[in-house]
Amino acid sequence: MKKILFTGMLFAACLVNAQEKANDTAISKSVDTLKTNELTKLKESVEDHSMKLAGYEERFSALESVVNELSKIKVSGYIQAQYEMYDSWASDGSQHGIPVTGSAYEDNSFYLRRARVKFTYKPVDGVNFVLQPNFEIHQVTLKDAYVQLNDRWLNTFSLWVGQFSRPTYEIEYSSSSREFAERTLMTRTLYPSERDQGAKLEADFVTKYNVPLKLQFAVLNGNFGEGALANQAKDVDNGKDVMARGVYSLKFPSKGLGIDFGAHTYLGKTTVIALDSNPANNIFKDVNNNLFTPAVGDQFKKELFGAEMQLYYDFLGGLSLKSEYIRGTYSGTIHTAQVNTLFNANKIRNVEGYYLSLVKNVGKVNEVSLRYDVFDPNTKLSGNNVTTKDDLRYHNWTFAWQYYFNDYIKVMACYVLPLNEKSLNAGADYKKDKHDNIFTLRLQARF
Amino acid sequence: MKKSNLKLFALLAVIMTVGLSFTALKKITVKGSDTMVILSQKWAEVYMAKHPGTVIQVTGGGSGVGLAALLNGSTEIANASRPIKPAEVQKLKSKFKTAGIEIPCAKDGLSVFLNKNNKVAELSIQQLGDIYSGKVTNWKEVGGDDAKIRLYGRESSSGTFEFFREHVVKGDFAANVQTLPGTAAIVNAVAKDKYSIGYGGAAYAEGVKDCKVKKDAKSKGVLPTAATIKNKTYPISRYLFMYLKSKPTGETKAFIDWILSPEGQKLVVETGYFPVK
Repeated sequence: MKKILFTGMLFAACLVNAQEKANDTAISKSVDTLKTNELTKLKESVEDHSMKLAGYEERFSALESVVNELSKIKVSGYIQAQYEMYDSWASDGSQHGIPVTGSAYEDNSFYLRRARVKFTYKPVDGVNFVLQPNFEIHQVTLKDAYVQLNDRWLNTFSLWVGQFSRPTYEIEYSSSSREFAERTLMTRTLYPSERDQGAKLEADFVTKYNVPLKLQFAVLNGNFGEGALANQAKDVDNGKDVMARGVYSLKFPSKGLGIDFGAHTYLGKTTVIALDSNPANNIFKDVNNNLFTPAVGDQFKKELFGAEMQLYYDFLGGLSLKSEYIRGTYSGTIHTAQVNTLFNANKIRNVEGYYLSLVKNVGKVNEVSLRYDVFDPNTKLSGNNVTTKDDLRYHNWTFAWQYYFNDYIKVMACYVLPLNEKSLNAGADYKKDKHDNIFTLRLQARF
Repeated sequence: MKKSNLKLFALLAVIMTVGLSFTALKKITVKGSDTMVILSQKWAEVYMAKHPGTVIQVTGGGSGVGLAALLNGSTEIANASRPIKPAEVQKLKSKFKTAGIEIPCAKDGLSVFLNKNNKVAELSIQQLGDIYSGKVTNWKEVGGDDAKIRLYGRESSSGTFEFFREHVVKGDFAANVQTLPGTAAIVNAVAKDKYSIGYGGAAYAEGVKDCKVKKDAKSKGVLPTAATIKNKTYPISRYLFMYLKSKPTGETKAFIDWILSPEGQKLVVETGYFPVK
């Protein structure tokens, strides 16, 4: 009986053991299945994410190529909106203000002086396309439109072809940075509309040779800013004018002092392209004020020589002192295709002008400026020998204050006091200093 | 005096003291060259420890970023591992009517990093230029294994990028240069990649080997060491600069004077750069 019982117990123990083993195997199988399932899920998830990443990468590549293309285009610009008051009077008090088209005289006005957008496209390193239209109330005009090719081997030369600023300091200094409402009378008269069409070669020796010398040489049509806009699209007299400029920069970085100085020349001609049906309109005055009648094809000198200096010094904050001097022989005509509105006569004149400007930063957001400029459109005549107002010498004082809200917005208040040479024979207004002061309050936003 | 008034007075005194202690803190902001970040931070740490009333905030971003910040007025000092560009000087002149103040504060050799297992140990400036402009693409062309060269470099905002382009590449970088933010990242990448090459400040060369640089094919290769950078025999060396828009005053002046003092210049050496004098 005992044996039977022992055998039974042994059998039961084996059965239990076998059952446990079977259970263990089942659990192990179940864990393996779970692991396999998890791994499969994980694999699927990784594959899914890989596909998503590949998709994103593809989209990113497409976007990157678009962004790369867009980054080749730069857009900048500025708007100058201003309020002007003209303290301008006729000598007998009969007229107050300045003549405005469509109305007699205005002594104040709002005026949108500039609304410009500049597009620069750089398709490859060393090539720039620049287009800068100016939007006016009644028209859109093209200011800058040129291709600039930079030499990639010496990093020294650049060729500009199209329409660009004439190479002088005051012209190349952007109106959006300028500390005064307008350029000097000298620059406005001698280089009307600032720009011209042609080709310009620049050599800047600082990058490659560490010599702070810049040379500019330009061949220009010579008639931009003269006559009707349509006439400015092409040369009107076949003759090309030449400009050259050299600037050297001295730098004393440990002292906070920088001095740039240079010289420029303009060598051109005014050509008589046609005679008027009215003989009186064909009479010219030479440099000595003698009358003569030229023939078609005659050419008169337009030769200017200038010197310039800009000094920057850290004296209780920034301070700049700038000056330019220009003298030479200038000629003009009243022919509609060539007339320069600030040199509006058939004449050849020895001219001379200069300016001196002092700008001082006050604190971080204020700037005060003072400029004295002189322009004599006829150095051979003075006082009562001057018989027309266009030959009178002007001394102009300009006072300005600028407040910078930030990098993009500034306010300018500018007051100009033109003092004319007095002559008893140049019109009633000029027997004494004519009242012709101008106050400008300008808001400028740029981006 | 009543007790309540006394309490009020005491409270006001505490507020004013705390307030004044805050207003008395002088803050100097320094931004720019990534090459100079470690050095600049060290200067700042030591100076602030000695002058508890001064707070110096140092950030990187690259020389171009620092100079742009100087131009827009968001930093007092711009660190730059390259000289200021004429266009940047023009902007300073136009905006602040100054030509800026340039303070050379240390000298640096620009190292060319190679992986320690790379057979190549020296390269001429011409070969480096050819490698980085993409004319030479395989190590066997410069005496190494037959393997493609992998290029690492800095972003275009970096002064190191500008300096290397101007003095070594002398043209455009190859399109396949992988740009990384900072010399430390370049060193890290080169250390892991046998057939790669990188460049950056000499102070960072850990886990990689410095390449001997030859002025031309006939010259002897020179390693960037204190002696070779000081005696100018190492061909790729440069000054590190601090730029300000106007002469420093007050605490900023004191900080800069201290940087140029033997104590400040000692930190230059400790960081792996070379003193200006």
